[in-house]
Amino acid sequence: MSYILHLLILLSIYSVLSLSLNLLVGYTGLFSLAHAAFYGIGAYITTLLMVKASWGFFPALVVAILGAILLSLIVAIPSLRLRGDYFVLATLGFQTIIFYILYNWVGLTNGPYGIPGIPRPKFLGFEINSIFAYSVFSIFLSGICLLLLWRICMSPFGRTLKAIRDDEIAASALGKNIYRFKALAFALSGAFASVSGALFASYMRYIDPTSFTLMETVFILSAVLIGGAGNIKGPIIGTMFVILLPEVLRFLQIPDTIAPNVRQILYGLLILILMRLRPQGLGGEYKLQ
Amino acid sequence: MSILELRQVSKLFDGIKAVDGVSLSFERGKITGLIGPNGAGKTTLFHLITGFLRPDAGAIYYKGKRIDGWPSWRIASEGIGRLFQDVRVFKQLTVLENVLVAFQNQPDDKPWIAFLSLRWLRNLERENIEKAKYWIQFVGLEGMENVCAEELSYGQQKLLAIARLLAADAETLLLDEPTAGVNIKMIRVILDMIEKLVKEEKKTIVIIEHNMQVIRDVADWVYFMNEGKIISCGPPEEILENKEIRRIYMGIQNFTPIVGR
Repeated sequence: MSYILHLLILLSIYSVLSLSLNLLVGYTGLFSLAHAAFYGIGAYITTLLMVKASWGFFPALVVAILGAILLSLIVAIPSLRLRGDYFVLATLGFQTIIFYILYNWVGLTNGPYGIPGIPRPKFLGFEINSIFAYSVFSIFLSGICLLLLWRICMSPFGRTLKAIRDDEIAASALGKNIYRFKALAFALSGAFASVSGALFASYMRYIDPTSFTLMETVFILSAVLIGGAGNIKGPIIGTMFVILLPEVLRFLQIPDTIAPNVRQILYGLLILILMRLRPQGLGGEYKLQ
Repeated sequence: MSILELRQVSKLFDGIKAVDGVSLSFERGKITGLIGPNGAGKTTLFHLITGFLRPDAGAIYYKGKRIDGWPSWRIASEGIGRLFQDVRVFKQLTVLENVLVAFQNQPDDKPWIAFLSLRWLRNLERENIEKAKYWIQFVGLEGMENVCAEELSYGQQKLLAIARLLAADAETLLLDEPTAGVNIKMIRVILDMIEKLVKEEKKTIVIIEHNMQVIRDVADWVYFMNEGKIISCGPPEEILENKEIRRIYMGIQNFTPIVGR
């Protein structure tokens, strides 16, 4: 039972991650490789405030969101003027910088040793201790994020993002300030990723920098692309796929010595086959060109 | 009265003068034709006016404000709309969405307002959908609201681009070959529409066209451009009868390329 609850918590955290990345990749046509960095920023700011300054979860979360927005604007404002490919490189650079700061600033982040003993959040006066209570909490908070993301995507704002994705020049000839829209999309995406980070940290009660590497970004990106970018249901389906597939593979009777490798190979193979057969993803409508 | 004015505008590409010291003015509420052979610099001129290119020299004034150097979106918000030669519809949006994007009165294109999902915004969206449907019907694409734009034919995409342009409600419209690639019946529809826009909605229109019949039919005034310079201007009858201009156009002065390109 607690295994299923654990999966539910992971699903709720990763749904927000993939849907917020989808706001960039699927809606705005911006390929960001820095998503795990914002995820990590959310996790670390929340953790540090809770552990070192004994803040509550929610005030720490608010600061984490603001921090993610601020940092995303610092990245976005210079790099969004660059052409698409260079923007990807700029986000890659940011991802790398954040990882190395988390890894090497031992005084603040405890570096590779990570930070243990993160307190569980308190909500309306009582501490969320059991895994059941945490799953309810996590689904609730993620649910709010998903609702907000859904509203954004369905609003004229989301529509304009899609128009910018399809044709920047035509969009700006209609009076749309494409830099403003892109910077807002980038900031929002980072803000939601930081909420996921806060949830992840207070759930795991221990974080270290290896959870927020480039590979993590690629993992989230694969959820978006497998599920299908550019709409709401695609990334959710993709998240279920990438989270649950390894769990399903766990039940195959593979000898323990080779099991992890075989699972990885099968996983990669399935993704390859899927991308060949359905380039727009399982539930997507937007084909990446 | 002139609404849009260019003074000594030049643009160089690798040392070649694509636009060379052009001065022109466009009259409010009139249709001005811009003609000339391929490569004369007509589309470059549109790029300069709409801010997609910056002039290397000269100044551009719109309603008395100097707009050269402004970003393109700001020029568009100021009231200069543009129909692109290569239509540029939003391919993966539906016909309806393409038109909806164009409306200027959308406060919930800011995400923090979109979060709220307020009733009056939903009503506004509903009104915009009605208006969008009107423009879709206006260009004759009714019934195709939910079709993805990339599934439309070239001519239909052009009509969609026109609907989108009209929804943006710009006062001045720059049309780059509005009839190229459109069938004869649709050409007539587009021309009637252009005349109606000027008469009823008091729009100012600048039109680049290779179809001289179109220019003869709708233009009040014509500029002839060649090798980056304005060679002459006048009423269409006069320009189109000019021997020198006919020579430059090399015997294509009487043709009507219907499905050109």
